[in-house]
Amino acid sequence: MIGSIEVRSLSRSFHTTVRRPGFAGTLRSLVNPERAVKHAVSDISFDVAPGELLALLGPNGAGKSTTIKMLTGILTPTSGEARVAGVVPYEERERNARNIGAVFGQRTQLWWDLPVKESFAILRDIYDVPKDEHTARLREFDDILELSAFWDTRVRHLSLGQRVRCDLAAALLHDPPVVFLDEPTIGMDVVVKEQVREFLRHQVEERGRTVLLTTHDMTEVERLAERVVLINHGRLVLDGSLDEIRRKFGSTWQVRATLADGHTDVVPPPGIALLRQDGPQVVFGPDGPEAPTVHQALKAVIERYEVTGIAIDEADLEDVMRVAYAHAEPAAEGV
Amino acid sequence: MAVLHAWRTARVTPLGELHAPPRMTAVLVRLTVQVVLVASLWSGLYANTGAKAGMSREQAITYAVLAVLASRLRELDQFAGRDTVIQHMHFGTIVYWYLRPLPPARYHALRAVGEQVYGAAWALAGYAVCLAAGVVEPPGSAAVAGVFVLSLLLGQLVLYHVMLLLDQMCFWTVRNTAAMLILIFAQNLMSGVYAPLWFFPGWFRTLSTFLPFQATLNVPLSLYVGRIQLSDAGGQLAVQAGWVVLLHLFTRFLWRRAARRVISQGG
Repeated sequence: MIGSIEVRSLSRSFHTTVRRPGFAGTLRSLVNPERAVKHAVSDISFDVAPGELLALLGPNGAGKSTTIKMLTGILTPTSGEARVAGVVPYEERERNARNIGAVFGQRTQLWWDLPVKESFAILRDIYDVPKDEHTARLREFDDILELSAFWDTRVRHLSLGQRVRCDLAAALLHDPPVVFLDEPTIGMDVVVKEQVREFLRHQVEERGRTVLLTTHDMTEVERLAERVVLINHGRLVLDGSLDEIRRKFGSTWQVRATLADGHTDVVPPPGIALLRQDGPQVVFGPDGPEAPTVHQALKAVIERYEVTGIAIDEADLEDVMRVAYAHAEPAAEGV
Repeated sequence: MAVLHAWRTARVTPLGELHAPPRMTAVLVRLTVQVVLVASLWSGLYANTGAKAGMSREQAITYAVLAVLASRLRELDQFAGRDTVIQHMHFGTIVYWYLRPLPPARYHALRAVGEQVYGAAWALAGYAVCLAAGVVEPPGSAAVAGVFVLSLLLGQLVLYHVMLLLDQMCFWTVRNTAAMLILIFAQNLMSGVYAPLWFFPGWFRTLSTFLPFQATLNVPLSLYVGRIQLSDAGGQLAVQAGWVVLLHLFTRFLWRRAARRVISQGG
């Protein structure tokens, strides 16, 4: 199906040589190398519908990039199957290449010594894009990414933000239905990040492209992603909407209250824990899986105590993901 | 459209060089200095003698100057253009070679064609100047010229595949600097860039026949100056063609193996 991504029980292992420490250990490793198997991705399955933007999240080394490399056809899985726009990417690399665009972080695919426009022209001819289509698409990209200000400049003279914007355009010049973005905004300033986000929103909403995005920037996830797949230690931990993730991992609120005189022995309401107390200053947090929402907790604290001041801190997505990553650790280690 | 992408890809290096005039000036200065020094050296060596190693003064100077000009064919500043395999492996950008509907082997070959045509333009310009100045002798006949061009073409194909082998090595070792230094020395020594192979002892020339380097320059240059007679050209061309076929089959096999190494080394 055009634009869909189907992943079924995908796994990828790498065989490595364990280097022993010290000089003698190094010599021993040369003579009698100790082999080890690293399971970068283990049995993950998910689907991405045409025109959907999915954020593939996880801590460093979780297996996100390996997954993307299998889906782009660069890497062949050890087991399982993937289909991108109806094509098995690692079996039909060239056919798959016409269906996908990809940006890998700060790694540029542009030709360093040539002006950006010349790089675009090379890609146009490699992908057999008709000239009028190419011109129209460049104009569309220029409207949002403001490329014309520097597209006559040689790539080596571009700033990081300019280069990544050009790389994004280069990845989409042949009109691919599926786009893979591996940390595309890493190291960019907030203005350029926002420009890139607007561009991606436009590509998904107006052009109907399917986007698989990996990022550590939770603002980006909040602004762009409808759905999130969380992986850790190569295993799929969670597949759901941002709301579902918040419901599952997001109850990390805090209620900070200043109590009126006389409250020395504080016994918190059910489902609420006393996190800290410094004289009349107390901090409450959720206690267990049945903890109330932050607003219910606020009400419970006010009803139980006489307070002279109160404030709430709700966890942002960054906190939620921190909890989610931590939550995923024992499960992964137990595998 | 295939012609278009071939043209676009092939012209990357010439275009990159044209965008960097200081690099072109450096090439001009270096080539001029090298030609003048080499011509002076061989003139000096022949000052008090007639023929050495079966070569007259004119033959030796022509051979040495043409060797300098021909070595320019594949000696471009690719590193500055960040488009060498070693750099793509280092920066992890090699993945893009595998994300386009253009096989990496074809892309690599097209880039090399562009480089060699550009290098040939320099060599041809240098040859014309040297010929006009009387530094080099013209070929003995039209037949010699024709065989020389064919032999030079085969020699460049051999050289391309030798360089490709080094590039492919990066898929396994990430770096090829040491191998590159060895190769540059071996290539210059055993192809006749430093000195015509005819000046080396017999055992060295015998050893050279088992290696591809002499097929890159020594054969075409020896044909040009008449040190190898036209009657022997057929065998020499066959040896060159044999090296091309052998190296092509081996590098094609390595391209297939390299595709499995992209991630583990390329990031």
